[in-house]
Amino acid sequence: MEKSLAELNKAGSHSTSSLPPEPVDIIRSKSCFRRVRLNVGGLPHEVLWRTLDRLPRTRLGKLRDCNTHDSLMEVCDDYSLEENEYFFDRHPGAFTSILNFYRTGKLHMMEEMCALSFSQELDYWGIDEIYLESCCQARYHQKKEQMNEELKREADNMKDREGDEFDNTCCAEKRKKLWDLLEKPSSSVAAKILAIISILFIVLSTIALSLNTLPELQDTDEFGQSSDNPQLAHVEAVCIAWFTMEYLLRFLSSPNKWKFFKGPLNVIDLLAILPYYVTIFLTESNKSVLQFQNVRRVVQIFRIMRILRILKLARHSTGLQSLGFTLRRSYNELGLLILFLAMGIMIFSSLVFFAEKDEEDTKFKSIPASFWWATITMTTVGYGDIYPKTLLGKIVGGLCCIAGVLVIALPIPIIVNNFSEFYKEQKRQEKALKRREALERAKRNGSIVSMNLKEAFARSAELMDVVVEKSERPHDNHLSPSRWKWTPKRAASETSSNHSFNAQELCSPNKERETSPQRLNVQKLEEMYNQMAKTQSQPNLNAKERGSKISKQRDEIELGAIQDHGPRVIGAREVGDMKSLSSIDSYISCATDFQENPRYPHSPAMDLGLQESDRFSHSPATAFSQHGSAKSGQKNIREREPILTPVSVTKPSCTENTRRFFFSGKSLIPKGGCHNEGGSGLSPFSDSSVMSDHSLLSPEVSVYTTASSRTPPKSPESTTLAATVFTFHDSSISKYIDADTDDDEHLRDLSDVSPSERLLCGSSPKRSINYQKGCNHLEAAQKILGQNCLFPIEGIRGVAHENHVGPEMARRPKVERGRQNALDKSL
Amino acid sequence: MWTVPKPKYRNGSCDEGEITVNIGGVRVELFGDVLNRYPESRLAELLNCSTQNHDVISSLCDDFDPGRKEFYFDRDPDAFKCIIDVYYFDEIHIKPGICPICFIKEMEFWRIDQAVLDECCKSYLSEKEEELTEIANKVKVILEDLEVDRCITRTQRWQRFLWRLMEKPGSSRPARVIAIASFLSVLVSAVVMCMGTIPELQVEDAEGKLVEHPILEAIETACMSWFTAEYLLRLASSPNKLHFALSFMNVVDFMAIVPFYVVLSLTYLGTSSMMELTNVQQAVQALRIMRIARIFKLARHSSGLQTLTYALKNSLKELGLLLMYMGVGIFVFSALAYTMEQSHPETLFRSIPQSFWWAIITMTTVGYGDIYPKTTLGKCNAAVSFLCGVIAIALPIHPIINNFVVFYNKQKVLETAAKHEVELMELKSDSDARRKSKDGDPAEFCRSNKDF
Repeated sequence: MEKSLAELNKAGSHSTSSLPPEPVDIIRSKSCFRRVRLNVGGLPHEVLWRTLDRLPRTRLGKLRDCNTHDSLMEVCDDYSLEENEYFFDRHPGAFTSILNFYRTGKLHMMEEMCALSFSQELDYWGIDEIYLESCCQARYHQKKEQMNEELKREADNMKDREGDEFDNTCCAEKRKKLWDLLEKPSSSVAAKILAIISILFIVLSTIALSLNTLPELQDTDEFGQSSDNPQLAHVEAVCIAWFTMEYLLRFLSSPNKWKFFKGPLNVIDLLAILPYYVTIFLTESNKSVLQFQNVRRVVQIFRIMRILRILKLARHSTGLQSLGFTLRRSYNELGLLILFLAMGIMIFSSLVFFAEKDEEDTKFKSIPASFWWATITMTTVGYGDIYPKTLLGKIVGGLCCIAGVLVIALPIPIIVNNFSEFYKEQKRQEKALKRREALERAKRNGSIVSMNLKEAFARSAELMDVVVEKSERPHDNHLSPSRWKWTPKRAASETSSNHSFNAQELCSPNKERETSPQRLNVQKLEEMYNQMAKTQSQPNLNAKERGSKISKQRDEIELGAIQDHGPRVIGAREVGDMKSLSSIDSYISCATDFQENPRYPHSPAMDLGLQESDRFSHSPATAFSQHGSAKSGQKNIREREPILTPVSVTKPSCTENTRRFFFSGKSLIPKGGCHNEGGSGLSPFSDSSVMSDHSLLSPEVSVYTTASSRTPPKSPESTTLAATVFTFHDSSISKYIDADTDDDEHLRDLSDVSPSERLLCGSSPKRSINYQKGCNHLEAAQKILGQNCLFPIEGIRGVAHENHVGPEMARRPKVERGRQNALDKSL
Repeated sequence: MWTVPKPKYRNGSCDEGEITVNIGGVRVELFGDVLNRYPESRLAELLNCSTQNHDVISSLCDDFDPGRKEFYFDRDPDAFKCIIDVYYFDEIHIKPGICPICFIKEMEFWRIDQAVLDECCKSYLSEKEEELTEIANKVKVILEDLEVDRCITRTQRWQRFLWRLMEKPGSSRPARVIAIASFLSVLVSAVVMCMGTIPELQVEDAEGKLVEHPILEAIETACMSWFTAEYLLRLASSPNKLHFALSFMNVVDFMAIVPFYVVLSLTYLGTSSMMELTNVQQAVQALRIMRIARIFKLARHSSGLQTLTYALKNSLKELGLLLMYMGVGIFVFSALAYTMEQSHPETLFRSIPQSFWWAIITMTTVGYGDIYPKTTLGKCNAAVSFLCGVIAIALPIHPIINNFVVFYNKQKVLETAAKHEVELMELKSDSDARRKSKDGDPAEFCRSNKDF
């Protein structure tokens, strides 16, 4: 873990201050303070170095041993030697208890903390969860186990769902349709009707079965024995024919024959049908034989088995199914109930036997004989066929009644609890299923794309569509270039709003902004930015000129914002006021920031002259500009070439150069350096294109949406970098969505990516924005990026939206990763 | 940042009456007269010795900044915020979210008596503490099991081996086999006891009396000898004989065995010394009932039964309540029924004690139908008594059930907690050993931190 952490942070390690301080300075600072200020997510803590030394292998313990800037940056997110303060971008609530662990040696957990998030915090700080004190540990483990169980169940469900694969064999399409028709009543109206007919048949056949035993309706056959009423026999035959047909059709259309055969519901179906045929077979084959009586007895037994068909109703009732599952799950408690009853019966029947056995013509002749009495009494049925007559017997009887009430009542609540839990779960799943279906339908209609966060995301949304389709047809595991090619076609069929964006983006942003009513707020903001940018950064722009006009323009905008400190803040505030973004969006925008930011400061020019105060405003803005460039890059790719070509990829790198240039200009670095930068940035562009191309097409895309890492990465080099970045987004987002929507798909995501997720959760803050105390940069970043999410539609399409967000994110870092690699090389 | 609100007029004066403390990064200014309300507390002591030498100060606080006159404590600021309340309000409330055990430790550090904790938080604390003691007990048991054979003598080692074999089914395969065999023998003996009373299976002895079938008797004897052997082995291997003999499960075991031997000796005496035969017979009869006790031996093998007994033991009050409700109901309704049924010529309620039986059967909704009211008024009374019976049973039963469910669920949690605790202890001892060997690798400092 540490290794990958280091890897991840390589990019960000130079970023914080203008010049990395010498190890001497760091050592001196550490030696001249006895205490250290730790700032975790905005909450300051002060602690003795000595205290931190108690656990030298944890993150805070390592902080003490770090003497170089790089190693320090690996451990914390930011620091200031003058202030003797170290910043960690983590949840402050959990940190309190973790710091107390250093102080007191006892790890307690905050009551209101979620166990899972606490365990992640523990992972980040490098503390083993085993140190948790037993008073809190019980709760912690209970919660965690519960969560794991749930995840496992989700995974099983997922597997079941995925199991419905109709591969290779003949007429797969038809079989799938048939399967849906028979097995999924909610899939279509016809299926629903079919289900209702099936229920009616079940009810009819059970009624016929019971009517058949009425003496008035029975016929007598030639032996003088009563036999079935002919009309009812016809009804029975029809019902059985229906059941048989249903079963056979199901069997034929089932994707996995053996699994189908084994399924409990299908076993019930078979048992409901078989007795009839066995009866027919037996009676037909033995008609003339003498041992007819024996056959009759066998036939009678099989007739009893017909009653099993009432269980067929379980297929159509969630409640019955949950009852079955509950009984299966709480066999422990059921066993307990039976054990209690058995013991009670044993004790009371023997007691009453000894009390009553000397009575005249007593019915308590032996202990087994009084079992019946004890059972009937304990269950408080009380037929009255046997009852005690002596005083002693009556006392025993009274005790038996009360004991029976007690004993039966005790284990029942546990079973009830199981049942209600399961029932709730079932309901939840049904809801999730419905939501997913709605999502798919919406996707088919193409309405989802219109709600995309911004035009920049539209591209990724397409990609996601591709991926989702792929997940529907899992044999197609890789994003082949041909697929890539057809995505724009899809894009063309998408809604008009998207189109208008594209059009806008091709032209100059200043002119075309007004057309889209949805984005009024954003436009205003950007216009403001533009104006600011013109005043300051125009000359620079002119001096340096390569790459796409749009992207540059956008860069300008954002840089203007950065340079002009005051107005930017106002702008951000404005966005904050205007935005109607859901929490998810803001979260995601933050996440992207984290991702993008560390790469940014990579350029040495950046490292030089930046003031502390600048850093504050700087980081979010940087993130935003980065955003812009990424967007424009993507846009270009989309608009011009369906396939990624080196040309299109150059653009982002170019814009990056320009931006870097601006920054360096601002920090009063000679322009020559910047040009140099530009040159070096340009030179590896073929490489960068390769990289980005690669990452775009890399199988990780599929990993993301299908949320199972079964696809092997195409090339090792891409996996080491891309995969990690990737999973970070993946996991964090899915976690987030999970929290928001309780969609089980994401739950599963979580379970699948958990190791890497943990790793990345641990590492993510490292890549975060430079931190200045007193400034909630995160919020600022959100506000800036909040523009992305200003669409009113978004609220309406909440569900779909949430599901889309992930892949978009997933895709972005890859493009950037590619560029980052290029940058790495260039530097 | 959080500071204690203080009156403005004293803001300027920074004499000895006022100290500044820094608790884990949170600066607080405190007044001496406030702190002196609890003179034995750490802060008050600090205030009173602040003019003295540095050794005392450093023993009281972690760091002292002479320039700012600031005392630094490396403690949890959140807990301190709650604890400081004691100086102002004379009582402490645990902030929700803080683990009470952890909070108590903080209070100990600040040298504030636990008694000032408010009642509302005390119950919460005691709950947690109870849980902890339970876990500690479990841990003790586990540790005893894990304890390496340190017994010097051979007999002791043998004893320990035997103890594990008999008492810990999970410890080894033979132990499990023994446990299963013992379980089966309990079942068999119970079945045999029941079968022995079936008249068809009984045989007539020389005097024409029905006695148990010889085969059944043989099985019974075998089971009894097995039980006896088991009991004796347990007794022999137990480290503490008296404790063993008095524990509930072993009393049950003893009760299951004793009747057999008493009956055996009585019959022997009865035949040999010509005691009065009928007396012996009666005694034997009475003792036969005690054979039922063997069914309770099953409790040794079922955690559910143990939970039941535990729950019942813990809800004796509710059981009493249940019985009292029933008793009152029985009295009232049987008397009512008796008086109301007097008018009917062929009444089944001949006396109030006789109608007790009817009341019980009605109130528990069993309803045999051997006695039933015949007049209209009596029938109305029966309906009311039935309703009252349902309520009288349902009300007190709920806490009992609750107890049972809580214990049942807790058992599993405690088990895992105890296991975890053992793991933690192992870890600590491991790292202790490592630290001793390496001296300077304190991965686990809990021990070293004890003096804090």
